[in-house]
Amino acid sequence: MSDQEKKQQEHEKDLAEFECGEPGRDEEAHVQRQIEIAKGPMETLHLKPEIAHVHDGVTPQLKVGVYICRCGGNISDVVDVEKVAETARLIPGVCVAKVHTFVCSDPGQHLISDDILQENLDRVVVASCSPFLHEQTFRGAVSRGGMNPYLYEHVNIREQASWAHKHDPAGATTKAIRMVAAAVGKLRLAQPLDKIKLPNHRRALVIGGGIAGLKAAADLAGRGIKVLLVEIADQLGGHLNERGRIYPSEHDASEFVSALVTQVRASSNIEILLSSKVSAVSGFIGNFKIVIESLRSDGSTSKMDETVGAIIMATGYRPYIPQNGEFLYKAEPCVLTLPEFIQHMQSLSGDAKQLTYCGQAIRNIGFLHCVGSRQIDGIHQPSPNGALNTYCSRTCCTTILQQALAVRKRFPHTGVFDFNQDIRTYGRGEENYYTQASRQGVVFFRYNGDEPPRVEAATGSRGKDGVLRIIVKDALTWGEELEIGVDMLVLGTGMIPGQITGLIEAMKLAVGEDGFLQEVHPKLRPVELAVNGILVAGTAQAPMNVHETLAAAGAAAAKAAAMFATEEVELNPYVAEVDLSRCSGEARCVTQCDYEGALKMVQVEVDGVMVDRAEVNAGLCVGCGACVAVCPHRAIDLNGWRIDQFEAMIEGLAAEIPHPECSSELVSIQ
Amino acid sequence: MSEPFVPKILVLATEKCAYPGADAVGKAHQEYPSNVYILRVLSPVLFPEDFYFKAYAEGIDGILIAACGSDCPYHGAYDRLAARIDQLTSQMSAGGLGYERIRLTAICTVCIKAFLKEVALLSDHLQRLGPVDRKLAEELRLQSVGRLQASARFPRPEAAMQGGMR
Repeated sequence: MSDQEKKQQEHEKDLAEFECGEPGRDEEAHVQRQIEIAKGPMETLHLKPEIAHVHDGVTPQLKVGVYICRCGGNISDVVDVEKVAETARLIPGVCVAKVHTFVCSDPGQHLISDDILQENLDRVVVASCSPFLHEQTFRGAVSRGGMNPYLYEHVNIREQASWAHKHDPAGATTKAIRMVAAAVGKLRLAQPLDKIKLPNHRRALVIGGGIAGLKAAADLAGRGIKVLLVEIADQLGGHLNERGRIYPSEHDASEFVSALVTQVRASSNIEILLSSKVSAVSGFIGNFKIVIESLRSDGSTSKMDETVGAIIMATGYRPYIPQNGEFLYKAEPCVLTLPEFIQHMQSLSGDAKQLTYCGQAIRNIGFLHCVGSRQIDGIHQPSPNGALNTYCSRTCCTTILQQALAVRKRFPHTGVFDFNQDIRTYGRGEENYYTQASRQGVVFFRYNGDEPPRVEAATGSRGKDGVLRIIVKDALTWGEELEIGVDMLVLGTGMIPGQITGLIEAMKLAVGEDGFLQEVHPKLRPVELAVNGILVAGTAQAPMNVHETLAAAGAAAAKAAAMFATEEVELNPYVAEVDLSRCSGEARCVTQCDYEGALKMVQVEVDGVMVDRAEVNAGLCVGCGACVAVCPHRAIDLNGWRIDQFEAMIEGLAAEIPHPECSSELVSIQ
Repeated sequence: MSEPFVPKILVLATEKCAYPGADAVGKAHQEYPSNVYILRVLSPVLFPEDFYFKAYAEGIDGILIAACGSDCPYHGAYDRLAARIDQLTSQMSAGGLGYERIRLTAICTVCIKAFLKEVALLSDHLQRLGPVDRKLAEELRLQSVGRLQASARFPRPEAAMQGGMR
C-alpha cells in the first residue's frame, strides 16, 4: 500500500464520524441529505431543492487534489513549484498534489479528470495563471471527471506571483503556498452548485449597418437566426459607400455595398431599423432588454422595447478630421483629406485629361501620411477630448498609394510626391501598390515622426510651382531640408473610434487605451467583449481594411450563432440565497437591493403561523452581495462567494506554513 | 535581533476592475512586495464590518479595498461600500486599531501605476504602525458582531441558535 493510499485511508477514518457515503460520488444525494438535516425543525417550509444547499455545519469529506502548473517556466522559474506541492500535501484535506508543465494542456486536464475518478477527489485546486484565462478550462476538466464544477478553485500564481515577484523567489513561493492554503480553505466550505438556466432568445441585435453589420446580419440570417439591424443613418452601407475602389481587388466599393444591402434586404430573417439608435441596454446573454429610439419622418421619435439574446457591436469608426488648421486644412482650399480626395477623383469625368480642382489644373500633388495617427506626445496636439492617437490606422498607406497610382495612370502630367514615416503596405497584394507607385514615378520623401513636414501657402514667385510649399527634412537624403511646391495636398487621415460612449456605459464594455472596443483576449477569445453575449465586428475594435472587417464580422456571427445552439443559457450560480433556518424576517436585506424583483419578502408558514421571510429570484439577482452584509443573523449569503469562505481563505493566508520534513513522497510528473 | 516587520497586506480586488488591474501589473512584469495577497471578489459590499476585524484578528495588518469606483457594475453597491468603510474607519480609529490600516480605492483594469502606488502607500503606513494588536482586533470584531445582532428586531429562529454565529 502506498503512502498516499495510507493517508487516504486515514482521512476516511478521521471523517467517518461526520459522513457516511461518498459525497463526491453522489452529489445529489448529498445535497438532498443536507436539505433533510436542515429541514428538521421546520418541516412545514417548502424548500426548493435547487436553492437548498443549506449549510448544516457538517464538514464534508474532503479529498482535495492540488495541481501546480509550471507554465513552461513562466511560473517555475520563480516559484519553487515542487516545494509548493510538497507543502500543499500537508494541508488537511489535501490528498494529491502534483506538478505539471502545462496543466491546461490535454494531458494536464486528463491528469485532473483521471485523478478525480481514481482517487475519488471531491475538490480540486489548480494553481496556474489568471482565472480569466483558464478557470473555465479547469471547471470543464473537473466536470469531465464527474465532479461539480463549483467545487473547483483557481489560484493565480503567475500574474500575481511569479511575474509580480520575479526578484523574490522565496517570497513568491511562500505566497503561492498560502494562496493554495486559502483556496483549500474556501473549498472546505464549498457546496456543489448548479448553473442557472434561463431561456435563450434566439434573436441577435446588430448595431451598425456598415459592411461589418451587414455581413454579420447576412451570415446570421443565413443560419436561420432572426436579426434586428439598427443603423443610426438613414441608409445602409456606412463609409464604404464613399470609398471608391476596394484594394487589392479594385472592386467598386459602392457596387459591393449595394450587393450586400440587397442580400440583407431580401432576407426575411432581418428586420432593419434606419435613423435609429439603441438608447438603453440591460440584462445578460440570452436575455438582453434593449430600447430603440427611431426618428420618424415627421421629426418625432418613437421608442420600442425589444429582447435579444446576443449583441454584435458593428458601430464602426469615424474618419479623423484635421483640427485647428493642421497642415492648413480648411485654411487652404486645396488641402483635402483622403476620403475627400477619393470623392473628388470619383466626381471627375472618365475622359478628363488633366487633374483639376475648383477649376485649377493640378500640376503637382502631395500625399502626406499619418495625419491623426501615430501621434507623439509633445509633438502633436491632442484632440479636444484629450486623446492622442498613438496607433497606426493601418489602411491609409495602401489607400494613399492606390490613389497616387490612380493619379499617375489617369493623369500622367501630374507629378506625385509622397511624404511618409515609412510605408506599411502589409497585407496580401498591398505591397504591389508600393512597387507600382515607384515604377510610375511617384517620388517618396521620408520624415521622422517627431519632425513632421511643414506646409505653407506660397505667394508671389515662391508660388510658381504650386500654391503650397511643403518643407520636409528628408531622411532618405540624410536629413536634408527640402521644399516642394504642390497645387494640392492630400492628408492621409486615419480612423478614430466611433462616438458610442452611451452604449459603452450602458453595456459596461471595456475600451482600450486607443478608445476602441477591447476584446477579451486577442488569441483565446477573439471578437468577444468582456460582457458575455456581446461581440464586436470590424472597425469598432480597431482600424481594419475591408477584408479584415468582413472576416471579423463573419467570426462574430459564427460565435453569436453558436450561443444560440442551446435552448437555454447557463449562468454562473453566483446569486444570493436565504438560509430559512436563520431568517427571522428582519427585511433589512430587501432595503439594500437595487434590482427590482430580485429580493423580496414572502409569506411562509412556520409552526402553523404565517411569517415574512426573504426570498431571492435567482434569475434577477446579479450577485453583488449588498444584501449580505446587513443581515444580523447572516441568514443571506452569496453562493460561491460566501463570507465564511472568505474568512476561511484569510485563515489560510495567515496560518503558519507547515514544514515539509514529515511529508510523504512527492508526486511529480513531467 | 528581531526580524524586520513584514506586514501582511490583503487586497480585496473586484472581478471586473481591480483584479484584472492586478493581473496587468504582473503582465507588465512590474513588481510589488510578495506579502500582498489578492482575493477576487464580485463586490466588497458583501462584507460586514466584522469581517474586516476578523481579518485583522487572524493576522492581516492592512487591507486595500480595490474596487471599481464609478465603474462599479452593480447599482448602488459602490456608494453602500463607501458608506460602510467610512463607518469602519471611525470604528477602527475609535477602537485604537488605526484608520490607516484600511484604504478604499478604485483600480481599473489597466491601472498599473495606481495599483503600485496604493500598495506602496499602505505598506508605508503599516511600517509606521507596526503589527496589529490581534486581541484588540478580536475584541472589536466581537463588539461589531454584537452591535449587528443587537440591532435585530426579531430573534434568530431557534433552530439556528444551536449552530452559533458562523
